[in-house]
Amino acid sequence: MASMDKHRYLGWASAAIPAGLFAWFAAQLPAIAAGAKLSYTFNWLPTLGLQTGFSLDGLSLLFALLITGIGSLVLIYAGYYFTPHNATEPATRPFSEARFFAYILLFMVCMLGVVTASDVITLFIFWEGTSIVSFLLVAYKYKDAEARRGATKALIITGGGGVALLAGLLMLANVAGSTQFSAIFAQAALVKASPLYPVMLGLVALGAFTKSAQFPAHHWLPNAMSAPTPASAYLHSATMVKAGIYLMARLFPALGGSELWFGLLVSAGFITMILGAVKGLFQQDLKAVLAYSTISQLGVLMMLIGWGSSTAMKALAVGTIAHALYKGAMFLMAGIVDHSAHTRDLGALRTLGLRKYMPLTFAATILPALSMAGLPPLLGFLGKETLLAAIEEAHGGLIVVVFGAILAGAFTLAQAAMLLFDTFSHASHPKSHPSEAANHAHAAKYSDPPFGFLLGPALLGVLSLVLAFDWLLEAGPITTLVGSAAKAAYGDKVKVDLALFQGFNLPLLMSAMAIAIGLGIAQYRHRLRTKFGSLWLLQPVRMDALYHGFMRSLEFTAKQATGLQNGSIRTYLSLMFIGFGALTLWFGAWRWPAIANPFLIEAQPLQALRIFSLLLVVAAALASVLARRDLTAIIALGASGLGVALVIALEPSPDVALVQIIVDILTTVILVMAMDRLPVKMRDAAYKIERQEHILTRLRHLTIAGGAGLFMFMVCLNALSGRPRNSIVTPFYEQQSKPFTGAADIVGAIVVDFRGFDTMIEITVFGVAGAAIYSLLRYATQKHGDDLENADNITQIADRPAVPNLEILGRATSTRGIGGRVPSALVQLAAQAILPISIIVAFVHMLYGHDQPGDGFTAGVIVAIAVGLMVLAYGQIDTFKRLRWLRPGYLIGSGWLVVMLGSLSPILWGQVFFSPFDFSVATGLDRFLPVGASISTSFLFEIAICLTVIGSASWMLQTFAREPAKITD
Amino acid sequence: MDIIISFAIAVLFATGIYQLLRRNVVRSALGLVIISNAINLFLLAIGAYDGTVQSYAKAIGVRSDALPLALILTAIVISMGGFAFTFAMLYIVMRRYKTADIDAITELKN
Repeated sequence: MASMDKHRYLGWASAAIPAGLFAWFAAQLPAIAAGAKLSYTFNWLPTLGLQTGFSLDGLSLLFALLITGIGSLVLIYAGYYFTPHNATEPATRPFSEARFFAYILLFMVCMLGVVTASDVITLFIFWEGTSIVSFLLVAYKYKDAEARRGATKALIITGGGGVALLAGLLMLANVAGSTQFSAIFAQAALVKASPLYPVMLGLVALGAFTKSAQFPAHHWLPNAMSAPTPASAYLHSATMVKAGIYLMARLFPALGGSELWFGLLVSAGFITMILGAVKGLFQQDLKAVLAYSTISQLGVLMMLIGWGSSTAMKALAVGTIAHALYKGAMFLMAGIVDHSAHTRDLGALRTLGLRKYMPLTFAATILPALSMAGLPPLLGFLGKETLLAAIEEAHGGLIVVVFGAILAGAFTLAQAAMLLFDTFSHASHPKSHPSEAANHAHAAKYSDPPFGFLLGPALLGVLSLVLAFDWLLEAGPITTLVGSAAKAAYGDKVKVDLALFQGFNLPLLMSAMAIAIGLGIAQYRHRLRTKFGSLWLLQPVRMDALYHGFMRSLEFTAKQATGLQNGSIRTYLSLMFIGFGALTLWFGAWRWPAIANPFLIEAQPLQALRIFSLLLVVAAALASVLARRDLTAIIALGASGLGVALVIALEPSPDVALVQIIVDILTTVILVMAMDRLPVKMRDAAYKIERQEHILTRLRHLTIAGGAGLFMFMVCLNALSGRPRNSIVTPFYEQQSKPFTGAADIVGAIVVDFRGFDTMIEITVFGVAGAAIYSLLRYATQKHGDDLENADNITQIADRPAVPNLEILGRATSTRGIGGRVPSALVQLAAQAILPISIIVAFVHMLYGHDQPGDGFTAGVIVAIAVGLMVLAYGQIDTFKRLRWLRPGYLIGSGWLVVMLGSLSPILWGQVFFSPFDFSVATGLDRFLPVGASISTSFLFEIAICLTVIGSASWMLQTFAREPAKITD
Repeated sequence: MDIIISFAIAVLFATGIYQLLRRNVVRSALGLVIISNAINLFLLAIGAYDGTVQSYAKAIGVRSDALPLALILTAIVISMGGFAFTFAMLYIVMRRYKTADIDAITELKN
């Protein structure tokens, strides 16, 4: 039993938060009623002009009080709900249901956010929050498939409505020119005159209707009853489903009052009201009856907002309070009954005669049931009176609506009677009369719950009675609250008189009619239920064909769409190319550039050389396609890259050409090393498979490639012939580079100074690439046991020559070059000699790179290539053993550190981050430096680039040169 | 000249895309390098000036356009890192599936 108490403590403790908030909100009532408006605003995204904030007026206060007040009671109640009914049931773990309390509190935050938001964006965010928490709560018993289905349905319907709402709110804000409600209200005339008005109203209404379970989106609510009962009472009756009501009431000053508004809201509300009232009577499940009666009442409230008169707004406020109180109590009662009797089936409950065993529960249910029935002198009666008064008053008292309201009132009364009597009373036929022994057993099994469990429903019931006498006081709290809420929604002062008896008038007569008819239905409810219960229209949930149809079509579409995904990467690529080309053609339209004579080749210096180098690029690339062996293809590709370098050199741009040359070499080296790791048989197999490929497949690929080529040809020709021949940006760099950065080399100045930040990120990416390759090849393959050597279908590296044992020479066997071959001593000597020379060359490049060709990239790659030669000559293990200083990770890290230090240190001299700065001049060291050299931020940057490139590239070399067998070490 | 360089770029693109669509993973990886070369050539060609001297502050004459050159410089180094990473990925894929035939690698399906 110890565990049992813990949930109770949790309930009471967590209820303290909303209770405190309730007290605070209640304390604001006098000020709000006097016309004050509390608000708090802060800039959220000032650059977008987005403000967010909260404000509290009468309408917000009404909902906030309901949310916090009922929230406290529900939390206390939940503490008992999650405790087993008696000791014979399996005990729960302590705090095992703490999740629930967290959800409820989270929901409370969202809901308070919705009702106090002062702008549409804030409202929307919290609105979506309530949908999500509702999903979590409906799916609370997630092992139950029914609960998951109900939760998904609720989320899809309310979430879909949320999307519509967002669109509608954004349109509204756009037309009104502000997201703030106050500013939107000021532009109400503009909003209503906008041609977009019907669209935005429709979208906003869609959001509100789905949230507040209006026809035809009402059917998620009965399914959502799989939530724990405290959540149903709180979310799906008292608060969340009223968010849509709140939203429409809130937007009434901006959107309301038009014909469309009236037609849309009144018709949806009317149908929902009748539907919920009638269908509720034919439900078997206690909570389903409550759900449908909630739907009916939500319809009433929606209809009242549509009605839009001042009395309607008054009725809305009264109805909201009355419904929240009695329906909350009824739901909580249903939870107690379920908790004790383990069934919610009305037929089963009727045979138990619970009144005898749970007299207190029965007594506590009487008041809310009477209020629900709309009988005097309870709050529910006031709600119905104000409703009837409102609808007979304005809009010529539409006779259909009046009769509909009377009918709905009658059915609701019958539902209340059914809930009260069928749950607790005993069916009177003698057959099921329990024996004495059964009676005794029942008494032990079914009993009244502890005080705290009953507190919520009892208090809400008593309030339903006491608050109805509010009119006896001078300016009683309910009158004040209703008045200020109605005023906030209506936009003008509303006269509120909530006397229970207002003389013999039409509403009283209609009320009496509703009660008389309702009593009749209640009397014959069993006969009605058996006679009409099997009607198709009245089945529990039959109206959701729409939802299922939607879901089916969604699945169908998904299946069609994913049908394209046949698993072939090449098909995906082809589709991407075709789709991309088609889209570009569609939007970019095909046009021939304005060239007088396209075949005229104007004379330029070195034209022939340029054409030759382009020919080299293209021919080498084509050769790489046609080559039989992979190695040949890679070499051809390297030649193609060198051709590109030649084109760049002819631009003329020697330093970029230099980078292209050495990077091309490094790429070729790495490619060859990677290739060498792949078994020859595997590559041969792939080649043979490719040879056997169907001619049509090849033709298809040729067509796609040719089409892409043609497309690129047109793009290039258009871009090149239409390009401006006078740059706006380049002259700036040309004029500023020398005075601003001290660099004569403009390309270098752009890379390390003007776009220094970009370059810093670039070397970071390059460093990460090296680290990623290392960890991928070293660890990922190992972890997954991707072991080519042990593959059955591929015999591995067997075609390599046997390696002579070199132990006798006093050398470790690792002194082998790449591929296990022993290179000649001359190559080894050359590699040894070239590395230090490369380091000197690299240093000179960096020192003078600012005025002459060469830069950090070149320097880094030169050293990396020398390291590559070492690896070829000595094998990677021996190389890295010999070169102790070559620690790739440290090099990358120190490179980055140097960038940071170099770019931050100008701050010491009062400059800003990344500003070009010459330290040697600032410290007077420049006298000792050779002419043309300087120690500046750009020099530090070059060093950093060089270090990172050496680190990353040698990491790549180390990884790719590693013998595959060694990976599993 | 524009038409020649456009043609060269177009052929490079077509070659690269044809390589990408091949069954042999090794060859389709090479397609990436060819496409990258084509893009660098394009960047080079869109320079505003038909330069005759290199882009140095003290150079006299029509300087080549420094801006696309700086972009190419960055692109060359970044794409080298990218290639190396792609090869590493493809290498792992080939080891895991024990084949260099892209159509044999079907676990992407479902």
